[in-house]
Amino acid sequence: MFLEIEGLSMQFGGLSAVKDVSIKIDEGEIHGLIGPNGSGKTTTFNVVSGYYKPSGGKITFERKNITGLPAYRITAAGFARTFQNLRLFKSMTVLENVLVGMGHHAKAGLWQQILNPIAVRREERAFVEKAMRLLDLLGIAKLAEYPATSLSYGHQRRVEIARALGTDPRILLLDEPAAGLNDIESVDLRETLVKIRESGVTIFLIEHDMKLVMGMCDIITVLDYGRKIAEGSCEHISNDPVVIEAYLGKEEQL
Amino acid sequence: MSNQAAGLTKRNLSIAKAVALAVIGCVLLALPFIAQNRYQVHVINTAGIYILISLGLNIAMGYAGQFNLAMGALWGVGAYTAAILNTRFGIPFWLNLPAAMVAAGLMGAIVGLPSFKVRSHYLAIVTIGLGEVINIILVNEQRLTGGADGISRIRMPSFFGVPINTDERYYYLILVVVLLGFFVARQILKHRIGRSFRAIRDDYQAAKAMGVNTAYYQILAFVISAAYAGAAGALFAHLNTYISPDIFEFSSTLFIMTVTMVGGMGSLAGSIVGGLALPILQEYLRVIRNWQLVAYGVAIMVVVLFIPGGVMELMRRLRGSPMLRQFSAQRHAEERFEPEEPNVSGN
Repeated sequence: MFLEIEGLSMQFGGLSAVKDVSIKIDEGEIHGLIGPNGSGKTTTFNVVSGYYKPSGGKITFERKNITGLPAYRITAAGFARTFQNLRLFKSMTVLENVLVGMGHHAKAGLWQQILNPIAVRREERAFVEKAMRLLDLLGIAKLAEYPATSLSYGHQRRVEIARALGTDPRILLLDEPAAGLNDIESVDLRETLVKIRESGVTIFLIEHDMKLVMGMCDIITVLDYGRKIAEGSCEHISNDPVVIEAYLGKEEQL
Repeated sequence: MSNQAAGLTKRNLSIAKAVALAVIGCVLLALPFIAQNRYQVHVINTAGIYILISLGLNIAMGYAGQFNLAMGALWGVGAYTAAILNTRFGIPFWLNLPAAMVAAGLMGAIVGLPSFKVRSHYLAIVTIGLGEVINIILVNEQRLTGGADGISRIRMPSFFGVPINTDERYYYLILVVVLLGFFVARQILKHRIGRSFRAIRDDYQAAKAMGVNTAYYQILAFVISAAYAGAAGALFAHLNTYISPDIFEFSSTLFIMTVTMVGGMGSLAGSIVGGLALPILQEYLRVIRNWQLVAYGVAIMVVVLFIPGGVMELMRRLRGSPMLRQFSAQRHAEERFEPEEPNVSGN
């Protein structure tokens, strides 16, 4: 199993944001995580990516236990994520934003950087090339030298994805990548995500845009009040009465 | 056609740059001879020492966003390390300089530990406190530090038999160390390390998600800034041959902070501008005595409120638009990639 989340729980004081959630994700899958507001989706992401130490449960990635590791080590293990509300580095250009994520691959340490500038420059050039390829994949290569926060919202979202891909992830965690995008941008995003999957990156995404989720995901997990209430293929989920109830409420018998 | 013109201006610019650099180089080399008296050289030497500390503070505060307000005390750690090694064990300046950097760097790592738990203003307050602790140790560990009397009779260095025993000669020593400090800082900040620092400053959580080992880089920022303060301490001790704890009190940190903020946070050149301007200005401001402190306070407030990038930002503004480079980059992109939007909607 590629990524296995077993019995995950997260409590904040008396509040259980996530209760005993288990999710299995296969390599190469696009796995959706949906649920009404406050159902624990982002909390699940924050635990998986190392922001919170879970109150219970276990996360294994390629048979390695990564539960409770610090965020940077989880990134090093092959995870990358984007944020629900954009969190680009505001003093940097688009290109620099992407380069930050590549830093953890760098071999040149502090002393190298001071004493061997040629080797460092060579390494830097390789990083820049790779970053430009990623920006090209996201269709924003021409904006590379712009200050990141001067871009339009849709473009900033793409920078976030490019930046996450810069860490060379095996699995990409996307927290509402389509939020705030118009229909055209949303279709565009979908094509990009499919391309990313084709390049061998597994995708785990939270999304409210049902058109996007239903057309693209292989498996969907539904959370409600911190519990997993359903899991399965798109058709299965869209016809599941439990899911419909969670979203729309129960149909009243007249 | 326009490309040719652009190439021409670019070449002119690089020629102008080379000429400017040559002029600056000549002035730097001839400075002790231009100065009217020995005292002026001493003031410039002091300025050089402040530049060095300010470079350190700029790396920590301006780039990495780590408020290291124990800089004055760390400067003291460097100075005392050099002074004790020299007066007790007769160790020469050349070994004391790296020793002072290591000692201050280690102390800097300790001062940086709270950065795991607290950030920004809170971190500033905690580091002020730790700086005060260091200062109290300097005053009270009399057997080691000479207490409030300080340490005197520190020997000035010599270079292959040539004694560096005048302000004029010491000037060149400081010049070399400051230039080295500047270029090392630039090299450190250029690529990955600088980007990781700025990432932590801009958005701590996002930096973590991008695989930046935030704890490591935070401590690194503290250690580097402290090592700069340590080097400045060794230079200071061997220049003045006498040190006492009151020099390294919190007011020195405030002065260094003023130097850095007025010069320009996040700009190494700013540290040089501020480090040169303020100590020299201080000499002229002696007539207003204690009002100096008021002047620093006002200067910091004006900078924070109106020109957060300090003198360097002011210069950029005067040169034209506030973000000249960014705007030209944008114009460039717009010219070249006009059909961007239609392309998107086509998909």
